[in-house]
Amino acid sequence: MNLIDGEKGFIYKVKSINLDERVKRRFEILGMIKDTDILILNKKRNGSIIIKLRGTRFAIGKKFAEGVEIGGVSD
Amino acid sequence: MTDNLKIAFIGNPNCGKTTLFNAYTGANLKTANWPGVTVEKKEGRFVFNQKNIFVTDLPGTYSLSSYTLEERLSRKYIIDEEADVIIDVVDASALERNLYLALQLIELRKPLVIALNMMDVVEERGMRINISKLSEMLGVKVIPVCARKRKGLDELMENVFEVFEKRDESREFNNLCFTYSDYIESKISEIVKRFETKYPYTKNHRWYAIKFLEHDDEVKKEYIINLDDIVEKNYEDEIIKQKYDFAENISHKVLINKTEKNLLTDKIDLAVTNQFFAIPIFFCIMTFIFFLTFFVGDYLKGYIEEGITIFSDCLLILLQKINCGEFVSSLIIDGIIAGVGGIITFLPNIFILFIGLAFLEDSGYMSRAAYAMDGIMSKIGLSGRAFIPMLLGFGCTVPAIMASRTLENSRDRLKTILITPFMSCSARLPIYLIISEIFFGDYAVFAAISMYIIGILMAVLVALILNKFKLFKEHSDLLIELPEYKIPNLRTVFIYAWEKVKDYLTKAGTTIFVASVILWFLLNFNINGFSGGMENSFAAEISKILIPVMTPLGLGNWQIITALISGIAAKEVVVSSMSILFNIANISSFEGRGKLYTALSEIGFSNINAYSFMLFSLLYIPCAATIGIIKKETGSFKWVCISLFLQFITAWSVSFLFYTVAVNI
Repeated sequence: MNLIDGEKGFIYKVKSINLDERVKRRFEILGMIKDTDILILNKKRNGSIIIKLRGTRFAIGKKFAEGVEIGGVSD
Repeated sequence: MTDNLKIAFIGNPNCGKTTLFNAYTGANLKTANWPGVTVEKKEGRFVFNQKNIFVTDLPGTYSLSSYTLEERLSRKYIIDEEADVIIDVVDASALERNLYLALQLIELRKPLVIALNMMDVVEERGMRINISKLSEMLGVKVIPVCARKRKGLDELMENVFEVFEKRDESREFNNLCFTYSDYIESKISEIVKRFETKYPYTKNHRWYAIKFLEHDDEVKKEYIINLDDIVEKNYEDEIIKQKYDFAENISHKVLINKTEKNLLTDKIDLAVTNQFFAIPIFFCIMTFIFFLTFFVGDYLKGYIEEGITIFSDCLLILLQKINCGEFVSSLIIDGIIAGVGGIITFLPNIFILFIGLAFLEDSGYMSRAAYAMDGIMSKIGLSGRAFIPMLLGFGCTVPAIMASRTLENSRDRLKTILITPFMSCSARLPIYLIISEIFFGDYAVFAAISMYIIGILMAVLVALILNKFKLFKEHSDLLIELPEYKIPNLRTVFIYAWEKVKDYLTKAGTTIFVASVILWFLLNFNINGFSGGMENSFAAEISKILIPVMTPLGLGNWQIITALISGIAAKEVVVSSMSILFNIANISSFEGRGKLYTALSEIGFSNINAYSFMLFSLLYIPCAATIGIIKKETGSFKWVCISLFLQFITAWSVSFLFYTVAVNI
């Protein structure tokens, strides 16, 4: 499943980032690498979401959220 | 012991770097651009222990890769040793992420001190940080500070001096706070060997070796060396991961009571980023800011008006006493005082507007607005992030266009640059305030606010039209940090607003002053010398050529056209030139407004013409400074011309449509 399919209030683990190389690097620099925990804080109907990554909140647009593969749900 | 020391602040965005910078330098700072680019460079000076400290605030950045201009600038600055000591401002409340940049800085092996900021936030969460352990693990000095409460400032500087004094020792000391996996390390050793042979005089070979493994474009361009047999692929993924693993390890060891409490920020965000309330909340906040700008600003404006009237009267008496003649006194009173003075009265409105924008930025709300507007923005083919430059456009178009730099995609940047000038900047505010007060009485505020709304609508419409072109079809997505909310630091807010007001005053003293003098000459002279009447002046002759173009808008009058043309120097000049054109000493005072009303009525100006004039002023060609920044940012005259054409056509069409419909109803 991808980040966009995640549910609000749950923590997931990053499996892979399937985005353009430069975008992928931007995410990695922010600490989004394989096996990092991501908490979904908010989701909007248009698909943009707010996540918490290593203690920092980020707003991510729909297309990006579709490109991050996640797994391993835990609340 | 040195008498001067050069230090530089670096850190992640939102780490409190600017607050720390301001805590040291106060308003004693100079803002300029980095050579050749439009990234803002802030420099300041202060005295510590009888020594002059020169400080540079490097752009906020998450890393020192070479992907963005900010990263490249910061990196080059550090490598070229332009600063004696680097201070890495680390947000203690987001330690892990901030340590990533710290680890990159440590690898550069320059004199470095870590300022551990936001310790108060950490304590509020019931956590503690073992600072000596952190310092030991990183191999650099770590000094806890609280920039907002101005705590730890002296201690930080004392340590900066100590590091500077012992800089040679620390450079010799082969400080490796962490090593990569054996595999990566063996690659690094191999590259170092080859690199040392070819470039023996380059310092810190290890850093270059890491950059070669990361396929760093800048380093590869500068150092031509064949490493294909060692660097058979890009190792950046691996290097980032191992740095983060180490950062995570440090964070586990030094953070005591690591908790994930439901923080105040999360509670506020529940409402502020709620999918139903986010946009209404945003509009309420903006309405409140504009309410303060118009009502409180107008109240304060009265005092300045009185001051200017007294000053102008005294000056007139003085000029008559020293018998300086009609020519000079006309130039000073009707030209300079009317022009420059008319603009200064709007300072309170502009100051309040900038205070409002500074509050939005410093509180952490700005990026929430970007998230709230992401849905709407994506409909016009931009990400929510592009909304920030647009919002800043309410203040001044020039920094707003510069802020579009934060957009990664060049097409998004271009589109934002084209639509931002439609957002009504503070320089256009005096035009609305004067004209709407004269012609719309009790509804003046609504008339003025409608300009802001129409500006936004036009920006949206133009963006939708641009989407039809292939170049603008695709856009980049949203990625923005939502920092913790904090009560805005009054010092930071004041310094921000003061900087802008200073710009405004400087503009009044330079551009508007010169424009007023030139306009006065153009209005009082013609080919035969002193014209004796404006009707036959140079300005009138030039403006009369454009009468046929402007008549369909209800603006076919040479005085109005002159005011609009001179507004290209700076939008405030539209008002100051009206003072000169209609010979009104204090245009925003009650009497001044009365005189302007009479003068405009005499040339057949009704409230329909007045509204058309406001519309045209809102949308037409931007000021010279904006044209300059568009050229610099886009790097091409083609886009400057497209921008000017787009604005003129929009302004003409909207005013024409309004005027035609209004006169026929």
